[in-house]
Amino acid sequence: METAILENVSKSFGRTVALRPTSLVLRPGVVGLLGPNGAGKTTMLRLLATALPPSSGRIVVAGHEVTTSHADRIEARRRLGYLPQEVVFPRGMTAFGFLDYVAVLKEWRDTEARHGEVRRVLGLVQLGDRGARKVSALSGGQRRRLTIAQAMIGAPDLLILDEPTTGLDPEQRASLRGLLSGLVGTVLIATHQTEDVSTLCDRVLVIEDGTISFDGTVPELLTTAAGRVHAGPAASRGAITTWKTGTGQIRSVGGQPHPDAVPVEPSVEDAYLLLRGQASTTEGVPS
Amino acid sequence: MTWHVNTQVWEAYAAGGLDPATAASVDAHVVSCPTCREAARGHVEPVTLEVVWTTVSDRIGRPVLPLWLRPLRGLGVPDDDLVVLSTASLLLPWAMAVGSALACAMLAGLMPTYQETTFLLLAPLIPVLAVVAAYDSTDPFREVSVPTPYSKMRLALLRTVAALVVAVPAAMAIGLLIPGLEPLAFRWLLPALGLTLAALLLLTWLTAEVAGGAVCVAWLVAVATVGRTYEVDVLATAAAQAGFAVAAAVLAAVFLIRTSTLRLLGGDL
Repeated sequence: METAILENVSKSFGRTVALRPTSLVLRPGVVGLLGPNGAGKTTMLRLLATALPPSSGRIVVAGHEVTTSHADRIEARRRLGYLPQEVVFPRGMTAFGFLDYVAVLKEWRDTEARHGEVRRVLGLVQLGDRGARKVSALSGGQRRRLTIAQAMIGAPDLLILDEPTTGLDPEQRASLRGLLSGLVGTVLIATHQTEDVSTLCDRVLVIEDGTISFDGTVPELLTTAAGRVHAGPAASRGAITTWKTGTGQIRSVGGQPHPDAVPVEPSVEDAYLLLRGQASTTEGVPS
Repeated sequence: MTWHVNTQVWEAYAAGGLDPATAASVDAHVVSCPTCREAARGHVEPVTLEVVWTTVSDRIGRPVLPLWLRPLRGLGVPDDDLVVLSTASLLLPWAMAVGSALACAMLAGLMPTYQETTFLLLAPLIPVLAVVAAYDSTDPFREVSVPTPYSKMRLALLRTVAALVVAVPAAMAIGLLIPGLEPLAFRWLLPALGLTLAALLLLTWLTAEVAGGAVCVAWLVAVATVGRTYEVDVLATAAAQAGFAVAAAVLAAVFLIRTSTLRLLGGDL
């Protein structure tokens, strides 16, 4: 069952192309979206969240075509939750008040049921005892968890999270991973944390310059880097990146390895950097 | 602390079997005795504690409705609309309304000869500025609210009402309080209604700043043009007021058609 479909979807802002014609199908599971700043991650997420109309193409969310019909778009919005990269809170608002407002926007009309749902999502992000606190009195990590909670109101089929782990400490990140991995629907996460992708995601998308350059599982992504990461007494020639490890060895990603270097198991970050490196070395090469 | 509540008294207290005087004594003692507060846990069912905690935390957690909205609850305004109104960031539109009303009063005071002209020129723009400032492009939650099913038109109109709650009395106060303006105190309302509707209509195409700017400039140009031929007081005559009423009705109709057409076209209202 497809949760979301993008068919030849593109988005331009004036002369700037943010997303080139892209086709994609999302099914239940956790999908990680990796890419550098300005690659088009947020644009893709906002398009799927119906926060932005596409310049061309067709988008279907939870069986509803959002690109043409207002009624279908409203229906799709009932089935999705969206965490923007940044949320600005008005002064004086409490955590409970913020979620209560978002729950109203998500059509929770009955006050008792709405308050029950607010308490449920506050509990999910471990803020059950912080409801009465002013948002301004919460820490950065608590505020981030609060914004994640608003996306979870109503247990949506499609949860779209733009950098959810930013500002969270390792314990909170681990807790959030536990929470997201237990969800039934589709979760799409744009992140810079390759660790989140390797521990959480069933599928990885790498986006670069408005184009998806990789679409596969984490093991498939790691396969692309097999035999291309080495540790040795000196850096590989032409390596994308190198650093000295705690054992005194030089770890090199890509490049021509030193004769005494040995291949080591690549991480998702290595594979991602290699993909990025490939893209940058092929840029401008005529096809 | 010279005494502590014993097991027998605790059991009677938990079962509600103590006489009122002894129960009150236990209540007062527990407030100041950590040992007895701790001991109390052992005599109350965990389920009861959970229920009490949920009730207390719910009562504490529930947002308190601002004073100005409480009468509306009594008038039957739905609770979800009150939540939207209480959350709307109205500081900017209200500040805009009061600020522009004060500016209007100051200008009218500075130019006694043109007092009426200044008032008729500026007062209708006070609600326009407040409504534009309340519109969703200035909403800090815009990114969160757009991908929700709640009607954006309803959201915009609720904010409009909230902005007008301050803007209309502010403009009216000038007309009633500044000597010499009393005859015009209500004559700015129909032009203001038309201009506000025009701004709302333009907001379906333009950004809040551009729509507000366009309406203000158009009004100032129109009044200046009228002023070349007639006294500006002509705007307060019955014929002009009837013209404003017709214009407001036409703009309201166009606004309704435009918003329903936008829906048919897949617009975001």
